[in-house]
Amino acid sequence: MKQMTGKKEARRDLRNCIIAVVLAFIFLFPVYWMIQISFKSDAETFGKILSYYPREFTFAPWLVNLQDKTFLLSLRNSFINGFLTMGITLLLGVPAAYGMGRYRVRGSSVFLLVFLVSQMLPASLTLTPMYLIFNKINFLGTHFTAPVAIAAASIPFAVITLRPYFKSIPVALDEAARLDGCGSFRAFVSVMLPAVKTGIVTIVVISFLNGWNDLVYSMTFNVGETMRPLTANIYKFQNAYGTKWNCIMAYGTILVLPVILLFVFLQKYIVGGLVAGAVKD
Amino acid sequence: MKKMTSMSARKTREAYCFILPAFIYILFVLGYPLVYNVYLSLRDVDVKNLTKGGDVFIGLKNYVDLFGNATFRLVIRNTFIFTIACLVFQFTIGFALALFFYQRFRLSGPVRGLLLVSYMIPMSVTGLLGKNIFSNAGLINNLLAKIGIAGPEWLVNTSTALIAVIIMNCWVGIPFNMLLLISGLTSISNDVYESASIDGANWIQRFTHITLPLMKGSMMSVLMLGFIYTFRAFDLMYIMTAGGPLNSTDVLGTYSYMLSFTQYKFSQGSAVAMVLFACLFVVGLFYLRLIAKEDD
Repeated sequence: MKQMTGKKEARRDLRNCIIAVVLAFIFLFPVYWMIQISFKSDAETFGKILSYYPREFTFAPWLVNLQDKTFLLSLRNSFINGFLTMGITLLLGVPAAYGMGRYRVRGSSVFLLVFLVSQMLPASLTLTPMYLIFNKINFLGTHFTAPVAIAAASIPFAVITLRPYFKSIPVALDEAARLDGCGSFRAFVSVMLPAVKTGIVTIVVISFLNGWNDLVYSMTFNVGETMRPLTANIYKFQNAYGTKWNCIMAYGTILVLPVILLFVFLQKYIVGGLVAGAVKD
Repeated sequence: MKKMTSMSARKTREAYCFILPAFIYILFVLGYPLVYNVYLSLRDVDVKNLTKGGDVFIGLKNYVDLFGNATFRLVIRNTFIFTIACLVFQFTIGFALALFFYQRFRLSGPVRGLLLVSYMIPMSVTGLLGKNIFSNAGLINNLLAKIGIAGPEWLVNTSTALIAVIIMNCWVGIPFNMLLLISGLTSISNDVYESASIDGANWIQRFTHITLPLMKGSMMSVLMLGFIYTFRAFDLMYIMTAGGPLNSTDVLGTYSYMLSFTQYKFSQGSAVAMVLFACLFVVGLFYLRLIAKEDD
């Protein structure tokens, strides 16, 4: 009897695994599609028959991109965008999450409401006024311009995601730090931050990706091609490459590569953060 | 006693030192532009008077002009069709996948994670990809030809371009909905299912009498969050179709951008943004009330 159910279980497990693999295949196929095109030769790209894999494998489309000066500058700018957004978010968001998680102050519900609302505001809404304000104070076209705007959405995310982490630290840990003679700032840095390491990694990854993935702020606030990140220069390269899809897809693959690497190595932090930041506070 | 109050005053000060920098940052970088946007939408700022000044208050004229404009009405229609279609497909397919991956089997964890890759990819690259696979001789039409269907020129026809954009957006939205719904399913206690099984309930009864009622809260929040994230779409259309052909994939986000930054009619652009805000505000309010309830 027991063996019977065991066999049944195993069969069900196998069936589910097969369905799961098929689903993964369908969902990841577009990503495979992009990558395989990026290794096709020009002749194959313009060929009459659509092949599902590169018949003659070549790195040429990658090299076309990697040898272009504007491309390399854009790549650098993408990293700058990511790291600056991450920096501003950590600097302001983490302390705020700590303050809201560990202290009971008047007006904390107002703070929370403001952070929740600002996380929901789309870039399209603030784009025009920001542009005019930044224009007035001569803040357009710097490496900081887009990250300052992007961080305005990342900081609330950090506060909302990290606050519960800080909340769940036992009070005894505060007291221990205090007995050791730590000031509140030292206690924050040397006791509290290590205790919420997992949450911090989530913020690091997500805020970097927010900066890396940004399109609209970066292209609006930076007119110069050499100041724009990869996302904002897509049109320039699309025009340059025309219908050379292999070069365009190599461009896209390089743009996606850091995202996929981060995802492969830090998946549990990202997934945890997405759920925490979206559903509950 | 005196010491107590000074202690708590110090604590309050400390708390503000941690919270206020971020709060003030948000007020300056988001709050001020938001207020400025209202002001802007009631004036006639464009490229001519931007540097010289001389723009004037024109009341609701920008809004009146917008709603009298057939293109704008089309944009509103597109935005709602796009959002509702995406929500319906993302949610139902996402829910089905959530129920499937919520079961325990060997690959459930890893594959569930893998599916999220499409959600992590920058939307601009999703747009590039969409442009490629929906091109006339692209992957989609190639697959359709294999089963004997002559695919349309997806991105050239005004009647099919929005469908292609919706499909690409669902590719991103389905895994996200799945992830959030799985976390909702996880919060239902297993005991409930077990006692129902003992009572002889089949899976349809368990689904309609246990899962659905208990998931009501998280289903609502996923739908509202989905609305908020989908309604503001920009990157996907901007790269994949640039709003075309003939505005058939233009949504509020892209239309506002186009008015402000290709036609330099800043005030009209911000009036469109205000309409976008008004729609989000209504749903956002419901969403905030819902999560406030969950918090209690």
